[in-house]
Amino acid sequence: MSSVSLTRKHKNALSAMLRVGLNLPLVALIILPLAYTFMMSGMPASELYSRLIPTRMDFISYTFVFTKTSIPRQILNSFIVAGSVTLLQMATCSMAAFAFSFLQFKGRNFIFMCILATMMVPWEATIIANYLTISSWGWLDTYRAMILPYACSAMGIFLMRQNYLTFARELHEAAKLDGCNNWRFLLSIVIPLARPALGALGAYVFLLQWNQYLWPLLVTNSDKVRTAQIGISQLFDIDSEQIGLMMAGVVVVLVPSLSIFVFMQKQLIDGLMAGAVKG
Amino acid sequence: MQARKPQPPILNPGIKKGKKSLYEHIEPWLFMLPALLVFSVFLFYPLFKTIYLSAFLTNSVGQPKVFYGFKNYLDILTGRYSASFWNSMWVTLRFVFFVAFGSLLLGLTTSLLTSKKFPGRAFASAIYAMPIAIASAAAAMSFKMIFHPSIGLINRLFGTTVNWLNDPAWAFPVICMISIWLASGINYIFISAGLRNIPDELYESASIDGAGYWRQQRHITLPSLSPTLFFQIIINVIGAFQSFTQVRLLTMGGPNETTNVIVYSIYLDAFRNFRFGSAAARSIVLFVIIMIVTLIQFRAERKVHYQ
Repeated sequence: MSSVSLTRKHKNALSAMLRVGLNLPLVALIILPLAYTFMMSGMPASELYSRLIPTRMDFISYTFVFTKTSIPRQILNSFIVAGSVTLLQMATCSMAAFAFSFLQFKGRNFIFMCILATMMVPWEATIIANYLTISSWGWLDTYRAMILPYACSAMGIFLMRQNYLTFARELHEAAKLDGCNNWRFLLSIVIPLARPALGALGAYVFLLQWNQYLWPLLVTNSDKVRTAQIGISQLFDIDSEQIGLMMAGVVVVLVPSLSIFVFMQKQLIDGLMAGAVKG
Repeated sequence: MQARKPQPPILNPGIKKGKKSLYEHIEPWLFMLPALLVFSVFLFYPLFKTIYLSAFLTNSVGQPKVFYGFKNYLDILTGRYSASFWNSMWVTLRFVFFVAFGSLLLGLTTSLLTSKKFPGRAFASAIYAMPIAIASAAAAMSFKMIFHPSIGLINRLFGTTVNWLNDPAWAFPVICMISIWLASGINYIFISAGLRNIPDELYESASIDGAGYWRQQRHITLPSLSPTLFFQIIINVIGAFQSFTQVRLLTMGGPNETTNVIVYSIYLDAFRNFRFGSAAARSIVLFVIIMIVTLIQFRAERKVHYQ
């Protein structure tokens, strides 16, 4: 008996070792671009052209990012834009989803289908017309040009509605009997219950907005409102001081999105699962 | 048994039977108002405006000037811009193919490798999923350094002198590779979730029957996972069609338009050449393609649900 369990133990240990061995190179490969970026951000300027791996790290480039470039301002802009879009979507999507799951009215299914159908419209296909609209309103180079077009999403409505549909109908009836109107019911009962779904929506939307590139590129032209993703892409230059600066800029801009990934992984993945309906 | 007494009607003072008040009629619309406003102004209106614009020649600020009918479409399909358009379609299709399947394969491999326990599994999982959090602009800047001809990591590591992003033979595969890396995270997350949903008993009974690792993968994993894989390919295809950032930051569609994917070509047409009408026509082509792909997905999903 003991010999059988021993071989099984050996077999398990062997397969675990095999797994470690197979995973190591893949993990290294996936993490390589980031590790390299981080390494270059701390490489002393004197070693940039002569060495592949620095003998020591210095973090002067990070000081430069915060004192010599527009990155701090652009990070603030990114936070303003991504934060506003996130809050707006949480509000507009939970309201619309409420109508689609708790209220009865004519044309409800038709309108819901219309909203779902917008998932078929790639944002890139409407970008020219949207750009012309925004510029004809004189909105170029403003926060609202980056915020309002994203103030609602079909995916968000869908996610929130799916969540509301799991609530008991009796909840709504009971609230009505108690004389609670729909707005108060949404605010004080539905939203607190839907917190996990709202968290998922929030994490997902914030990340998507933080990582935006094309739209902010089109509608901004000054550092006043320009976002950080545009900012780091303009730092490219290969003179020795600039390399460290540029790579430090990339690291700094990655910190917020990686933090969301690390600290809100569950919410983020739930949001992604729902958002992938759109792709 | 006692005969049932007729129940008194339940009185619900809160719920008025019969006619709804005017406010109750408009209330749902108040809840939907912000959403409908955003969709109307920034989605439906621009979609129709794009169709409208695609029938005009515009001036350099995008105002329609000359009615042009279907000629913008003819110009890109068979006329004066057709060479560039078909090149861009061909580049896009190849790009979509490689990225959709490449990231699927990478995601499948990493998912299978982390499906069972081993020391460091949580860490490996986190790394495999991590690219979802990485902005394509930030990634592009890192890869710009990695592939830099004189100081880049790749050339120094392998002792080569290739100008990767400027070489007509290399720019396209490099852009594909970067896009696969970027898309691998979401593939890992979805495929891992799909793997977790396969009941363990299937594998247990198979290994009792003496089926080895590869046989189990072929006869259990693959069939059970195929709806997930199909769904994931569609997501990859839609995502890849919309790629722009890495192209704009690394190759500007070049060299010789070898990386001129469709969204980049729309951008060039409208914001570099100021041909908004023709760019609108390209946008409609993109819209139709994505619509078809999405409809295929809807139809297939219905089949899966009803079978």
